[in-house]
Amino acid sequence: MANSRVIIVRKKDISSPKGIPDLNCLVRMFKRGFSLLNGPGDYKKNLQILFKADDQIGIKINTLGGKNLSTRPEVPQALTSLLIKSGIPSKNIITWDRTNRELTTAGYRLNMNKKSIKIFGTDSRGLGYEQDLTSHLNIGSRFSSIQSRIVTASISLAIVKDHGLAGVTAGMKNYFGAIHNPNKYHDSNCNPYIAELFSTDSIWKKHRISILDALLIQYHRGPAYHSQWAAEYGALIFSLDPVAADFASWQIIEELRFAKGLPSLKEEGREPLYLKTAEKMKLGKASPADINIIREEI
Amino acid sequence: MKRRKFIKLSAATGTAAGSGLGPLLMDLYAFQNSSKLSKVEAKFYKKYPDREIECVLCPRFCKLGDKERGYCGVRENIDGTYYTLVYGKACSIHVDPIEKKPLFHFLPGTPTLSIATAGCNVNCKFCQNWEISQVRPEQISHIDFPPDKVVKFAQKYSCPVIAYTYSEPVVFYEYMYDTSLNARKKGLKNVVITGGHINPEPLEELIQAVDAIKIDLKAFTQDFYTKYVRGELKPVLEAIKIIASSSIWLEIVYLVIPTLNDNPKELRDMCQWIANEIGPDVPLHFSRFHPHYLLKNFPSTPVSTLEEAADIAGKAGLNYVYIGNVPGHKAENTYCPKCKNIIIQRQGYIIAKLKIKNGRCTYCNNRIPGIWI
Repeated sequence: MANSRVIIVRKKDISSPKGIPDLNCLVRMFKRGFSLLNGPGDYKKNLQILFKADDQIGIKINTLGGKNLSTRPEVPQALTSLLIKSGIPSKNIITWDRTNRELTTAGYRLNMNKKSIKIFGTDSRGLGYEQDLTSHLNIGSRFSSIQSRIVTASISLAIVKDHGLAGVTAGMKNYFGAIHNPNKYHDSNCNPYIAELFSTDSIWKKHRISILDALLIQYHRGPAYHSQWAAEYGALIFSLDPVAADFASWQIIEELRFAKGLPSLKEEGREPLYLKTAEKMKLGKASPADINIIREEI
Repeated sequence: MKRRKFIKLSAATGTAAGSGLGPLLMDLYAFQNSSKLSKVEAKFYKKYPDREIECVLCPRFCKLGDKERGYCGVRENIDGTYYTLVYGKACSIHVDPIEKKPLFHFLPGTPTLSIATAGCNVNCKFCQNWEISQVRPEQISHIDFPPDKVVKFAQKYSCPVIAYTYSEPVVFYEYMYDTSLNARKKGLKNVVITGGHINPEPLEELIQAVDAIKIDLKAFTQDFYTKYVRGELKPVLEAIKIIASSSIWLEIVYLVIPTLNDNPKELRDMCQWIANEIGPDVPLHFSRFHPHYLLKNFPSTPVSTLEEAADIAGKAGLNYVYIGNVPGHKAENTYCPKCKNIIIQRQGYIIAKLKIKNGRCTYCNNRIPGIWI
């Protein structure tokens, strides 16, 4: 079986001193990332393989960390511009997270206009969580109706952070924000819950790609923001393999920790065990020998 | 009031239309739904550097960074201070007979004003109230119902007892505690219906404010607690011992689930533990399971299994063993252990006969443990 590809596209000094990334640079990074998804190619063609024109594309971002440590608004903005160029109607694109309050706190401007790109939370009027429970392995949860009913193709556009329990929070754990009771899945290093939630039909059958915002990485004492342990990394991470994308994020966090003289996550008893579980469940690859990491600087 | 609004409020408060509680419903309606959560500093947590905290209320000991919530979903670290989000935010309010809790040796026939907020610190796969216990407070309707109003309502609706119940009162500890103190000043009593997943220090403080605790002992093996409760057995047993050694009243309920916790050896071990550690006079209720929440694929408990469990408890020396959720069963009644007469006859939640006077059997004068009218 072919190795999984992870594309890491970096741009030095992409963000202003206030932490605002340059939109044009982001667009270039996205183009580069998409063009390399399946080997050298054309970004538009690769997007057209991933998404049909009538797909309702859900871009699940992570805005738990407030203004300092959330998926930056410029990132989905750059992404949507390329989706539109590839033929997706703007009205078919939804950037979303749990609550409107978290979205606005992170700098997003809400928009529920049906004719344009939409930005809203699950708690918006008329949405909410499904009444029926999804019962799957150890998971018993009600899904956000955005994920279960509206979205047909899902992008996990998460931020990369150290996590006090899971070890790492990235593209897979991002979907904890798609259910009503994520607090129930933080036992035992969030394992096997992250992998089992990801394997539910509402996610597994809809997830198309993980794109991770690694512009600023919280490499220690996450998931809350601590400026002294946050590094400007200036990268976007792309992979069609959700497990490999998270694995690569973990490796970057370990590199940053090593450079700062911090113990590894394993030494702290927080190795992201969910990755091996996910691999066993055949959700993707979590072994270095099975993953090709392609690093690009622009 | 428009019919649609009436039905909506009935659902939000757990008050059934036609239950004879129209005035209560109308009073509650005046409160309106509240979308705001509380921000009252929690008791029982430790502060650490870098805005981190550790909750020490229950055996989970959740360690949380800024903006994170505990396992219960109703307590949040905001900038290094831990807050309860459900103080005075009741999502269920109802007047129940105390037999429904069930508490069988505590003021029989007494109506209780029963309240709950969202949240729970475990996640039982057989939870009967998961719609309120397994959600965050912002995901369900609730009303502003602060402690003084709870007490006033209890008085207005002739409820000598306030019950903290339905979800898991441990997670709304501060609300329960303050309401209890308030109620006690007005001569009311307080009872707590809990899974007992609480640490000794907060439990000991709570015991000073309430009059009875009913513990749901979910099983007698850690394996069951791990797989079906997501909690720990040992702290629950410890809680039972602490309550039993205090001056407040204790009863235990054991929900019998076919094939999962109905093994005769397990039941025997549990009954012997109760007899040895707590004594033979603690009432033990074996309740019938019905398929629910994440255990919909299991059958209801056969009545014969419950009878077998009750038989095991009797052989272990327990004096007051009941069978619950089986209306009309003879084991709904209280029998005097000495003369074997029925001293409390129950028909569902109705007390049909009460033959206890001054805490003694009226037939043979045997002392019957409990809190009696």
